[in-house]
Amino acid sequence: MNKLTYLAILCISICMTSCGDPEDISKDLLDGNVIFDASIYQPEKFLVSAKYPNPTLSDLNKHILIAVHGYSATTFEWQEFQDYSDPNGPYRVSQVLLDGHGRTYSDFKDATWNDWSWAIKREYEKLEELGYTKISMVGSSTGGPLLLELVSSGYFNSHIPPKNIFLIDPIVVSSIKLQSIAGIVGPMLGYVKKEQEGDEKKYWYKFRPHETVNELNNLMKLIRKELESGFSLPQGTYLKCYHSKHDPTASSTSTVMIYKGLTTCSGQPIDVEIMDSEFHVFTRLALRKASTALDFANQEKAFSEMASKLSN
Amino acid sequence: MKHLIWTGLFLISFTGISQNFNAGIRIQKTNGMYWENGISFQYSFKNLKTDQLYFGFDYVTTRWGSAMGSNALKQDNYLFSSSWAFRKEKSFRPIVRLNIGYLNVDFEEEIFESLPHSAFLLSPEFLVSYAFKNIPVSIHLGSGYYIDFAEEGHSPGTFQPLYYHLNIYYTLLKTKTNE
Repeated sequence: MNKLTYLAILCISICMTSCGDPEDISKDLLDGNVIFDASIYQPEKFLVSAKYPNPTLSDLNKHILIAVHGYSATTFEWQEFQDYSDPNGPYRVSQVLLDGHGRTYSDFKDATWNDWSWAIKREYEKLEELGYTKISMVGSSTGGPLLLELVSSGYFNSHIPPKNIFLIDPIVVSSIKLQSIAGIVGPMLGYVKKEQEGDEKKYWYKFRPHETVNELNNLMKLIRKELESGFSLPQGTYLKCYHSKHDPTASSTSTVMIYKGLTTCSGQPIDVEIMDSEFHVFTRLALRKASTALDFANQEKAFSEMASKLSN
Repeated sequence: MKHLIWTGLFLISFTGISQNFNAGIRIQKTNGMYWENGISFQYSFKNLKTDQLYFGFDYVTTRWGSAMGSNALKQDNYLFSSSWAFRKEKSFRPIVRLNIGYLNVDFEEEIFESLPHSAFLLSPEFLVSYAFKNIPVSIHLGSGYYIDFAEEGHSPGTFQPLYYHLNIYYTLLKTKTNE
């Protein structure tokens, strides 16, 4: 056999041994074919627009916080803030489930980052239609760049601007170095398997298809470019960005990039705070193996500051 | 800047003992991240595998790349290298190279002081070079991979592993050998 034949055999072998979809997706996993995410079956438990389809004046006076979770997660990521908040208080929390999430592995694989974003826009526009005027947003991890994309794309030019935007460990650049070459090695690997503990399998995808990692990379790249050019918040919108010092998933450098590239409407710097934490999404402590007193203090600080802003 | 001037003087002092001495520019793109451009020097010494074993120094920075006129972060890379060039005295040569060095990212604001802003650099590289016959210029095209020794979250996010670069050298000194 000549060299060309060897090369052809090698290429075919690589293609044949490349991983496709995982074969061991059991029904008890979020990725499985049995869809059990409660926010799909009972949206009224999670979305303010579904719970109060005919809001009273008193309802409309309340401040609404749209809470956006991260890549491969579910509404569970913001359940602790929902539980923290007083249901009869001055604000309500609307937990959106990103499109393509909480469903089967194949639904997740087929969704683009633009699809993920539709759930946020749907809830925002429904609340607007219902007559709410005080709407704020919080995004954790990938929720961060999704909210920044709404700002940079001019979405709020034709909608009422949000009162506040809070970002928790937003991902603009990853701490996972191999993620940047997902486009090269992804087709050979097929998917990434995430080690999970206990009930995490019910709320986060265990298998992350390389197509979705590429989507996340595309979203981050877009936001980095926008930040390099610079953009500003809509008039009247306050933004604070919190980031764990040693975030193992979303590099804390992301917050430096956001600080440099995003200003308030009047050109002033945004607020940022570096948290002494090793967690990614430090506000989510449920199902974590070991949370320290400092972790609880970090969560309390962010929650109380957000609640205070929403109570104004 | 002061460091660069001292480095330049240090490198120039080598010209007296070097057999081959090339100086040039380096244009580098990190996969999915910044353009970082700068300067590059390489030498091979008398009686030490002349024109095959090279030692070099590179300085690349986003200040002369992505950060020019944009909000991209300012970062500086200092790289010392040793490389082995195959096919001695030929125009077209494959090269393997090992770099060690240091990366520093300037976050500019005090509030970010506690964040990871530097990294030790170690990267193997593969290059191909082409030396023009009638002019003392050579072009090196290569790709390398930075090995990150830090735990995830303990190195700057702009430190990404895969990069590609183009070096264009002007040969300042070249002595024929009988080796």
